[in-house]
Amino acid sequence: MSDFTRQGLEPLRTIGNDTPRIDAIERVTGQAKYTRDWKLPGMLYGKVLRSPHPHARLVSIDTSEAEALPGVQAVITYENAQVVWGAGSVNGGRQYNDPTKAATVHRRYIFNNPVRFVGDSIAAVAATDRHIAEEAVSLIKVQYEELPFVLEPEEALQADAPKVYPEGNLCPDFQGEFKPMVSDVGDVEVGFADADQIFEESYDTGFIHNAQMEPRCSLAHWQGDKLVLYTPSQGISNCRHDTARDLGLEDHQVQVIAQYMGGGFGNKNQNQDADLVAATLSRRAGVPVMLEYSRREDWLGVHGRWPTVQHYKIGVKDDGEVTAMQMRGYSGMGPYRKNSGGIGGMDAYGCPNRYREISPVYTNRTTSGNFRAPSEPHGFFGIENMMDDVAYKIGMDPVEFTLKNMRRPTEERPFTNYSLDEVISDGVERFNWQARRKVVPGSDDGPIKRGAGFSFMMFRAGVGTSSAIVRVNSNQEYTLYVGVTDIGPGAKTTMGMIAAEALGTPLSNVEVVWGDTDRCPYSVGESGSRTTIMTGLAVVEAAEELKRQIADKGMPSGSEVLIGSATPIPTTDGKTRQCFGAHFVEVEVDTRVGSTKILKYTAVHESGRIINPTTARDQIRGATIQGIGQAIHEDLLYDPRSGQPLTPGYYRARHLTHKDIPDIDVHFIEVDDGYGPFGAKTAGESGIILAPAAVGNAVANAIGHRMKSMPITRDKILGAMA
Amino acid sequence: MRDKKKRGHSLNKGNDPAVKYADPNNQVLNDKQQSRRDFLEGSGAAVAAGAGISAFGIPSAKAQSGNSSATTAINLTVNGTQQMLDVQDRWTLAEVLRDQLDLTGTKIGCNRSECGACTVLMNGQPVYACSQLAVWADGADIRTVEGLATNGELSPVQRAFVANNGPQCGFCTPGQLMTATALLETNPSPSSEEVKEALVGNLCRCSNYNAIVEAVVMAGEEGGLA
Repeated sequence: MSDFTRQGLEPLRTIGNDTPRIDAIERVTGQAKYTRDWKLPGMLYGKVLRSPHPHARLVSIDTSEAEALPGVQAVITYENAQVVWGAGSVNGGRQYNDPTKAATVHRRYIFNNPVRFVGDSIAAVAATDRHIAEEAVSLIKVQYEELPFVLEPEEALQADAPKVYPEGNLCPDFQGEFKPMVSDVGDVEVGFADADQIFEESYDTGFIHNAQMEPRCSLAHWQGDKLVLYTPSQGISNCRHDTARDLGLEDHQVQVIAQYMGGGFGNKNQNQDADLVAATLSRRAGVPVMLEYSRREDWLGVHGRWPTVQHYKIGVKDDGEVTAMQMRGYSGMGPYRKNSGGIGGMDAYGCPNRYREISPVYTNRTTSGNFRAPSEPHGFFGIENMMDDVAYKIGMDPVEFTLKNMRRPTEERPFTNYSLDEVISDGVERFNWQARRKVVPGSDDGPIKRGAGFSFMMFRAGVGTSSAIVRVNSNQEYTLYVGVTDIGPGAKTTMGMIAAEALGTPLSNVEVVWGDTDRCPYSVGESGSRTTIMTGLAVVEAAEELKRQIADKGMPSGSEVLIGSATPIPTTDGKTRQCFGAHFVEVEVDTRVGSTKILKYTAVHESGRIINPTTARDQIRGATIQGIGQAIHEDLLYDPRSGQPLTPGYYRARHLTHKDIPDIDVHFIEVDDGYGPFGAKTAGESGIILAPAAVGNAVANAIGHRMKSMPITRDKILGAMA
Repeated sequence: MRDKKKRGHSLNKGNDPAVKYADPNNQVLNDKQQSRRDFLEGSGAAVAAGAGISAFGIPSAKAQSGNSSATTAINLTVNGTQQMLDVQDRWTLAEVLRDQLDLTGTKIGCNRSECGACTVLMNGQPVYACSQLAVWADGADIRTVEGLATNGELSPVQRAFVANNGPQCGFCTPGQLMTATALLETNPSPSSEEVKEALVGNLCRCSNYNAIVEAVVMAGEEGGLA
C-alpha cells in the first residue's frame, strides 16, 4: 500500500505516474544479461584460493600440481602477482582517489601475506572449465604459520591484543594518524552539569552482509592494451578509474560494462578485487577469464555492514530537554579499512552539547564496508533505543520527546525545506500511535505481549556532479546517454522519465543507453542515494540545452542529429538538504519462545517530488524489510576459539522469507524545495535507517525490557525475560 | 521461521521414473545415480568442520577421483524442445541449462538450495536446478523462464510482474516466476497467504516481497494460466 500527499505541486505529464520499468520485459523473460550470462570465445573460468585461517603468515606455496592439471592455463599467487587493490583499504575509509592512494599506509593487495581473515585471498587459477579451476585450487599446497587473532573491536584495542598490523589495531585516519574520529559540538560537561538526570547505557550491533542475490563476478577481456571488463558495478565511472589506477593504465584503456546487475546495496561500489584478479589472470592466459565467486566466498570475501559497540551518556532536564549527548563507539572493520566505520544518529538531535568519538578498529573478522546508508541503521538503533528508554524513564511519550529535541533549521544552518513535524504527525495519525503504544511498557497480561515503537530520521540529499547527453534525430526520436547501471531501484526508467518530462515527449520516445563507460558519460554511480538528484539534474540540463538548440536551429532533418549535453555543478545555496522519515511499528512478542512478529508497519517519508511512485514505494518497502531482518535475525557469528565464521549464507544468517513479511504501509509527503530535478530528493537508502530502531523500541514497549544487542534474536529475548 | 519441508521442493512420488530420479529424498538409486550425499560432497556443498581448505567448499582431490569428467548421454525436453546431450556427471541441471543450452535466464545465487534463484519446473514441479545433477533429469520435461511467454506474449504472471514492479534487481525474478507459475497451475486464484506459502523457498534480497506477492495474486485474479 502506498499513497501520496502532494503539497502545492502541479501534476506533471510523465513524472509522478506509476510507470513500469523500461526494461521490465527483459527482466521477466530471462533476456536481461547479467555478468555471468556473458560468454566470450575461448573464455576460461577463474577460481580463488582463500585462507582457512583467521590470521597466518604464508611460509611457502607450491602450485606445481595445479599447473600440471590438464586444462589449467594460469596460476597467480601472492608471490608473482602483487597488485594493490586501492579501494580495498584506504586511510580514513574515504572514497579511493589519488590523495587517499598516496596517504594510505595499510594497503590491501589482491593476494595478501600475511592473510588476516578467514577468506583472505592467496592465489587464483584460470582453467578451461569451472570444475577444473576448483580442482586446481585444491591442488595448491600452502604452508601456514598460524598467528594469534582478535575478533572483538574493544578487545583489539587492549595493549596485549594480537596486532593485525605492527602499528596496532586502531585504524589510521586520512592524515595517517592513529586517532579516533571525533565530533565535538558545544561543551558536554556544561550540558551534563545542566541536566537533572543522566542516563548511561551500552548497545551493540552485528555484522550484516549485503547478501545481494548475484554473487560477485567479473569477466575480463584484454584487447591489446585495452581491458574490457564486464562486471556488476554500482558505479561504472568510478570502477573504470579505480581499475585503471590499480593496473597502471589510463582511463581510456579500461571499458566497464554493466548491463544488468543483481543488487549490491553498497558492496559493488567502485572496483572490486574480483575485477583485478580476473584482469590479471586474463593478461597471463591471453584469453578472456570469467571469475565467479561462490556464495560463501561472496559472504566472506566481499564486505558487509560493520559491527559496532556504542556507549551512550545522555543528560536531560525534568521537562524532557536534552542538555548533553555523548557516545564512545567502536566499529569492527575487519583487517582492511574499506569504508568509514561511522555510527550515525546523534546528528538528528538539536542538543547543543554533543560529543562523539568513534574508533574504527582492525580485527581478524571479514572486511566491513558500505551497506545501504552505511553509518545509519545501527547508529539509529543505538541512539533511538537510548532516547526512547530515556523518554519512558522520565514519563514522556517518545514522540513528544522527539518533537522537543529533534534537530531543526537554525539561522546559521538553514535547510532547503523541513518537514519532520508533518512527517511525524502524519505517521502518528495513520498508525494510531496513541492507541497502540503501551504507556507502561510490558503491561500486557499473559505471555504474548504487544507493543509499539517509533523512530524518525533525516538523511543527506547531497550535491555532486554527473553528466548526461541527449540526442534527437530527424524522426524526433530521443536517445539519452547516462552512466547509470540500475542496481535495482529503477534508475534507467527514472532517468528516462526525467528526460521525457524535460523534453515534453512521451517516455516511449526516449531510448536510454546505460551501463557502458565507452558509450555513456560520467555518472557518480548508484551509491549514496545520488543518482536521481545528481544524474537526474544533469539529464534536465542536457534536455534544456538540446531544447535551446532546437529552438535555434529547428528540428534536424535527413541524417542530421542535434546533441545536448550537461555537466552541472549544482548547489543548494549553502542550505542543508535532507530527506525525512518516521516509522511506526507494532510487534507481538511471544515471550515463551522469544519470537517477534510484526503486526503493523507504517512508514512516512518526505523525499521531495516522487519521480516514479511504483519504484519509490518499493524502495521504501524493500529497505524497511531489510531493516527488519537486521533488527531481529541477521548476524555473522564467529567461533571465538577458532576464529571461524559460523553463519555465512542465507540459511544460517536467517534471512527473511516471503512468510516473514508484513504489509508495509508507505506514505509520501511530496514537496518541491526548488533544488532537485523537478523537486526530487533522495529515497534509496533512507528506508533502511529506521526499522532497526523502531522494531527495537516496539519490542521494549511490548516486553518491558530494553534489548541492547542487535539482532534481537529469540535467545536474547528469552534471556531478558528469564 | 523456515519451512524446512518446502526448501527441498519435494516432488511427486508418482510412477514417473524421471521424477523419482530427481527426488533428493528418494533412496532407490540405480548405478547411474549418485546418492544425495555423494552429490553434496562432490559439488562442494558439504560443510567442513573446523579449519581446512575445504572450508571454502572446494572439493578435495580425493572426492574428485578419476572419472569426474565422465559423461552420460541424456534426453531432456526443455521448453517444449527435445534435447539430446552428453553431460558430465558432475554438471548440475542449472549448469547445463546455462552453459550448454544458453538459457541464462535461470540464475545461480547460492548453488546450494538456499535462495531459489535457479528454480525451474521439472515435470511441472518447481525444483532448485543448482541442486539437481543433470543426469538425474534424464527424460524430464523442463520449463525455464524463457519458456513462459508463448508466441511473444507474456504469461499472466509475467504481465503482473511488469505492472506491479515484480523485479527490482531482477536476479531472483526468474525463480519467483517459475514457482508462481507452478502455484497458479494448481491454484488459479491464490490468496496472498497461499502465495507466501508457495514462494517461501524463493528469497529476494531487494526484499521486494510485498510487490511480488501482490503481482502473483493479481495474475490469479486475471484468471490464472488457463
